[in-house]
Amino acid sequence: MTGTQAPVTAAAGSAPDRGGEGRPGRGKALRYIAGRLLTSLLSLVAVMFTAFFLFRILPGDPVRAMTEGRSVSVEQMEELRRQFGLDKPLPQQFVDYCLGLLRFDLGVSYQYRVPVVELIADRLWPTVLLSGTGTLLAALLGLWLGTRSAWRRGSVSDRVNSGVALTLWSVPTFWFGLILIVLLASGADLFPTGGMMTPGTTGAVAVTLDVAHHMVLPVATMVAVLYAQYLMIMRSSLLDEMGGDYLVTARAKGLRDALVLRRHAVPNALLPAVTLIFLNIGLVASGAILVETVFSWPGLGTLFYEALSVPDLPLVQALFIFFSAAVILMNLVADLVYPLLDPRVRS
Amino acid sequence: MSTTEPAATPEPRPAPRSPGPVDGPEGATASPRRLARQRRRRALARFWRDYRANRAGLFGLAGLALFVLVALAAPWLVQPADLSVTRAPGLPYQPPSLDYPLGTDNFGRSVLDLVIWGSRVSLLVGFLATLVSVTLGALIGIIAGHFGGATGTVLMRVTDWFLVLPTLVLAIALATVLSRSVFTIILAIGVTAWPTTARLVRAQTLAVEARPYIERARALGGGHLHIMMRHVLPNVMPLVLAQTTLLVASSIIMESTLAFLGLGDPTTVSWGGVLQDARNAGAVSSGVWWYLLPPGLAIALVALSFTLCGRALEGVLNPRLRDRS
Amino acid sequence: MVVRQTPSRPRSSRWTALGAAVLAFVVGSLPTAAAAESADGAPTTLTLAVSQPVDSLSPFLAQRAISTNIHRLVYDYLTNYDAETNEPIGAIAESWEVSEDQLTWTFHLRDGLEWSDGEPLTADDVAWTYTTMMEDEAAATANGNFVANFEKVTAPDDATVVVKLAEPQATMLALDVPILPRHVWENVDDFASHNNDQDFPVVGSGPFVLTGYEPNRSITLEANPDYWRGAPGFDRIVFRYYNDQDAMVEALRKGEVSLVSQLTPAQADALAGESGITVNDASGKRFMGFTINPGARTQDGDPIGDGHPALRDRDVRRAITMAIDKEAIVERVYGGYAEAAEGYIPSRYGDYHWTPAGDERLAFDPEAANALLDEAGYERGEDGVRVSPDGERLSLRLHVHNDRPDYVQTGQFVEEWLTDIGVEVQGEYVDPGKIGDALTSGEYDLIFTGWAVNPDPDYVLGIHTCDALPVEPGTMRSDSYFCNEDYDELYRRQIAEYDPQERANLVKEMQQILYEEAVVNVLVYPNTLEAYRSDQIASIQVQPDPGGNIWGQDGYWSFWSAQPADAAGSSSGVSGALIAGIAAGVVVVGAGVVFLVVRHRSATAEDRE
Repeated sequence: MTGTQAPVTAAAGSAPDRGGEGRPGRGKALRYIAGRLLTSLLSLVAVMFTAFFLFRILPGDPVRAMTEGRSVSVEQMEELRRQFGLDKPLPQQFVDYCLGLLRFDLGVSYQYRVPVVELIADRLWPTVLLSGTGTLLAALLGLWLGTRSAWRRGSVSDRVNSGVALTLWSVPTFWFGLILIVLLASGADLFPTGGMMTPGTTGAVAVTLDVAHHMVLPVATMVAVLYAQYLMIMRSSLLDEMGGDYLVTARAKGLRDALVLRRHAVPNALLPAVTLIFLNIGLVASGAILVETVFSWPGLGTLFYEALSVPDLPLVQALFIFFSAAVILMNLVADLVYPLLDPRVRS
Repeated sequence: MSTTEPAATPEPRPAPRSPGPVDGPEGATASPRRLARQRRRRALARFWRDYRANRAGLFGLAGLALFVLVALAAPWLVQPADLSVTRAPGLPYQPPSLDYPLGTDNFGRSVLDLVIWGSRVSLLVGFLATLVSVTLGALIGIIAGHFGGATGTVLMRVTDWFLVLPTLVLAIALATVLSRSVFTIILAIGVTAWPTTARLVRAQTLAVEARPYIERARALGGGHLHIMMRHVLPNVMPLVLAQTTLLVASSIIMESTLAFLGLGDPTTVSWGGVLQDARNAGAVSSGVWWYLLPPGLAIALVALSFTLCGRALEGVLNPRLRDRS
Repeated sequence: MVVRQTPSRPRSSRWTALGAAVLAFVVGSLPTAAAAESADGAPTTLTLAVSQPVDSLSPFLAQRAISTNIHRLVYDYLTNYDAETNEPIGAIAESWEVSEDQLTWTFHLRDGLEWSDGEPLTADDVAWTYTTMMEDEAAATANGNFVANFEKVTAPDDATVVVKLAEPQATMLALDVPILPRHVWENVDDFASHNNDQDFPVVGSGPFVLTGYEPNRSITLEANPDYWRGAPGFDRIVFRYYNDQDAMVEALRKGEVSLVSQLTPAQADALAGESGITVNDASGKRFMGFTINPGARTQDGDPIGDGHPALRDRDVRRAITMAIDKEAIVERVYGGYAEAAEGYIPSRYGDYHWTPAGDERLAFDPEAANALLDEAGYERGEDGVRVSPDGERLSLRLHVHNDRPDYVQTGQFVEEWLTDIGVEVQGEYVDPGKIGDALTSGEYDLIFTGWAVNPDPDYVLGIHTCDALPVEPGTMRSDSYFCNEDYDELYRRQIAEYDPQERANLVKEMQQILYEEAVVNVLVYPNTLEAYRSDQIASIQVQPDPGGNIWGQDGYWSFWSAQPADAAGSSSGVSGALIAGIAAGVVVVGAGVVFLVVRHRSATAEDRE
């Protein structure tokens, strides 16, 4: 997850550059929206093709993987191959795949023998719950600390804030999770080591408490590693704003600093951070692979990772499309919403 | 920062052509060589003075130097026999002692030796993966920015398309498809990390090409290659360098992640690989903390060093950011 | 008519005693148990940590170990395996006999068997299950191999099943096929898409009833109080999912689960000293080793792949095996939790296990291996790597599964040992998919392998016959491209040999051939390491006894026999830590929300001004 995201810096940022492409005037608004929609659609189609071919070159034979260690005959393996639709030639498989996509039919998982759509739907909400909570908390914490840091630039608390954030950002996610497990789950026995809930728990309140208890460590891991980006982006954009003329004016008018900060600077400085949040929401679907693996969280990430080793082609393809589509969608939303949010663009 | 970053960045000032240790000859445009050398030296001195003012950057630089030294000196610090599994020097899972300051692993090898030796692979992967992605990103970014039009659009669409593919998912898929080796990991990281650089470079290229002297160079008959190599590249380099430093940090983390997910080559000693071995051996639950802690700390320290350096560099090279950090 | 043994119950006296004790316990303590339950509020639960996803709960389709293990618990089979000796004993069938021509088997069923929905279990259910697998390809997906040799299965009356075979088949008492209730399953339209996971409780006949399944979260079984052998000790078995081995061990430490299997040696050592936890160090059911490419080819003899030609030389193969120190693998890779192996069938199957006589042994001896290679004309080159008489360098690939840490470590040892005898090794540590690809395409030199051996060894012997070679490159049964006429002849004789002792002798002869040819080289039998909470489980039956395992048995003995300890509460309840943790979380979230709301309010207010 920390993978190649490097936006702990002011200049980096994987956001689509809205500076280069002309921002829409009122008249161009429709064309802008249509253009964005078309681009997103093209990306989606490209992703669908990629999903098919990328995973067809994965090594391994799903049939062999599923029958590993079993006393099966060659006939049984052929029967399984037929059930999976792998006995057809590749072009035929591709046509079937495309036709299936048109009907929103993503196939049946080899491992679970249920439609992959059901599997994804079943695993979606644990992932959204974990990853969404993590992203939200990371954003809130990062924005809050970033604001404080910028306001007291150069102070001890600024240095400590930035230092801690960057250090945590440098820690590999999975390792941090393991250390948390060793310290807090198995060591101090404060939290469960993994899973999402204790089986057999019943009653809405008990279930909620139980899930919340299970979520603490994985969410803490995500937040620790993620919040630095928000802190840094908030800090630098707020510093930008603080140099703005209108702030100087406001201060000259005698408004108290706290009021200036709250009423003027922060709302404007929030914009880049909001964009980042949108983009990260797109990554929520795929963002938790590591955390889910370490904490045995029954989400999409673990589903994908397991499926890859078979390879459970329909499931891997569908998840790949799903993960990418989430990013595409959120990019699109960010593109469309941004002009509405930014008062400078509006005027 | 995505919003204001691209077009607005550096105003035309005599950019420090050869920042830091990378002293390229490509910046030599002035005719009298000595004058150029002097100017370069002055720029370097100014650069160092600015950089020195950033204390975090100095920490980062020191940490980086330390790790590079360790990696270079590893063949003298660790005997190959100490890494042999059949002739391991100690007993399995010995806790830290005078003989083995960081204890031993499941074969009885010293964890300190593994961490020292692992720095070589981890740094190598970090650097090479970054080289791959930065080269790719810079190339595509400059071309897309310079030519614009259909070429630029197509290149940027491809970049966009890569951007939406989930990085880790794509890297895992690539590492599974290709054969198990350090170079696979390098390729997997490099191929997935370039689009960010490409976007950054393209934006910077657009900004540079809008300057009057490029117009002049074009009017004087400068070809595409000339403009891209002589004018755009030197001006884009500083930002790319800062980006590079940051990418090394994430590449090292990515390497450990892929190794942890079991996609690395188990016979090469790398920090991520050691962590995976530790986890496979059940170190987390059997209390063998000395097997788990050092490699993770090493990764964190190196990544932090690179990040601090990258931020300091960026602050120095990008005047708009200078007064912020 | 040859009348075979007719064991009406487990033969061993200890088992009879235990069975009686269980029965006495169940009958005698019924009122008490009920009272204890109502006081406690919770039935006794045995929780087991698992990681493998269930592929299908339909016995016609299930391939994965977890699914077949669950089927063992919820469906009865025609026969079972004795808990102590692994020998076939009766289950649904109480006795059986074979015709003179050895082609007709008549099974007599136990009286009064019932499905969990109260319907009687009759011979008709058995015949229907087998016949469906013979006639419907989808129904044969999982277990078709068991009925491939069946000509006809009939049920002349409710208590008799008659199976007519095409060829004699010595494995008739080892048919690992769950018997299904015809009255439920004949309504299924398409066996290829029916997963048996919609209607709970699932109608079965085993000691447990499948009552709940949440994919990758949990599987719940409830005790079948009417099971003919007696009700199980625990009221409920829960399979709980963890996808991390360390998380499982932690869960065991905290009492979240009662049983964890497949421990690493380090984990077993760490758990061994802890109170309330018992570690079970079971003899291995698996063998682990590597095969050497003897020149991969199809059944017609067309060569495939690119195996190193020098490996067709038996001396080279034998020298390679002599360079490997199996004792060192046992000590250093398995921490002593394994047994150095020679024969193909693990020692836990005493009847079939074979060891070479003193002068046949290819003992660890690098000098002898070097001498053997020198003699055979493989001279060392300048770089220390040997060159074959044909001028080929002895540089070999070694394919190792990267998902098995013990394989990876052993691979690293083998690399270094082979270097000592002048063989260069290129380690290819790749995922199992690639291992399979390398094997089927013949593009390997040395390749790791490992199989769990069933009480009946027929299948693992069959994968080294000439018949198992591919007809054309691609799908095949062979695990080694081994093809030897003497071996094949012995294989044909053992499957037709109904006398267990004679058959065992034939199986031993086959193993001797495998050993001498040094194509299939077994290195160790790794122990199965498991741990359970002795404060939750008072006693549990291993199979075989002594030295057997708990999870993955060839019977249902462990879960059926397990007795809850006095205070078997696996539910720890809501702890103070939980409340503290949640409170902290709520505070953080609350603070963040308040902060943002305040900011947002003031921002919008400002805008309006």
